[in-house]
Amino acid sequence: MSSQLDLKQIERRAFRSTHQDGLWDMYFGLVIICVGVFTYRPPEGYSLLNLVLNMTALCLAYGLFWAGKKFITIPRLGQVRFGEARRKRGRTLAIILSAVVLVQVGVLLLTVAGWLNEDFAAKLNTFLNTKNGLMDLTVAIIGSLFVGPSMILMAYFNDFPRGYYIAIMTALAVFLTIWLNNLIYPLMIGALVALPGLILFVIFLRKYPLQQESKNNG
Amino acid sequence: MDEQEQLKDFSSITDVDRLIHEPARLAMMALLYVVECADFTFLMNQTGLSWGNLSAHMSKLEESGYLEVEKSFKGRRPNTNLRLTDAGRKAFHVYRSRMKQMLDGLPELDQ
Repeated sequence: MSSQLDLKQIERRAFRSTHQDGLWDMYFGLVIICVGVFTYRPPEGYSLLNLVLNMTALCLAYGLFWAGKKFITIPRLGQVRFGEARRKRGRTLAIILSAVVLVQVGVLLLTVAGWLNEDFAAKLNTFLNTKNGLMDLTVAIIGSLFVGPSMILMAYFNDFPRGYYIAIMTALAVFLTIWLNNLIYPLMIGALVALPGLILFVIFLRKYPLQQESKNNG
Repeated sequence: MDEQEQLKDFSSITDVDRLIHEPARLAMMALLYVVECADFTFLMNQTGLSWGNLSAHMSKLEESGYLEVEKSFKGRRPNTNLRLTDAGRKAFHVYRSRMKQMLDGLPELDQ
């Protein structure tokens, strides 16, 4: 009984060590800032430049994450391939996330169809505009529900405890940015997510110094 | 009475695979048992063994046919990948069962 528990702990510790470089946290911190900039509606109106800048920033964030893993983490921590159980969890997550994306696309298409239907759009507009800010609040709730639950699922299936914090903070950032339309929220929340990552990254660099090339070859 | 008889029987202790029983090799085997494969650097970080120590134990396990060692280059960096062979997995499984059986059979000490 105890030996089985120990082996599970060994596997879990090995798996979680691959997340201790803080790169995921810094990446998601940047993503929150990007998504915040994307959902922010400037007074002078939304332009194509917003979208282009947002996509560029997202690509840059992912590029930094990828380069960090390849050139900093792997040479220091080493590489490992986990067993079938972990891969099965990954496949399950992919299937669930695909279903979530399909539901989100469905909701989006229904919304577009609703707005295109003049009678329905007029009724919806009348209802949502009866109370001040109800429209923004509704969109903010839907937006955060798009992001939060799927990220919580990612945290669960990737066995990544800090992922729950990141998921809640991301949902909060989306909610506040849409509802209050102020860039300070995603910037602050993005920093609150990225900062622990930066601290973990420094600890990681100190804990795992770069091995000499000859020492990689046992 | 049964417990006392079990204690007299030390054959399960002397029969354990001594190649695996050594702590450093046990750590290596346990880690490689729960993953599919890992490289030298990862194993060194996880077990806390020094380069020389790990290298020596790796050679012993490879000679016994428990470990498969694959040396290659990742870009310009040398890379040593390790995985348990089927014989290694089986040996570790037998070792684990035997130790579990033996330790579970020990009587509790009266406090």
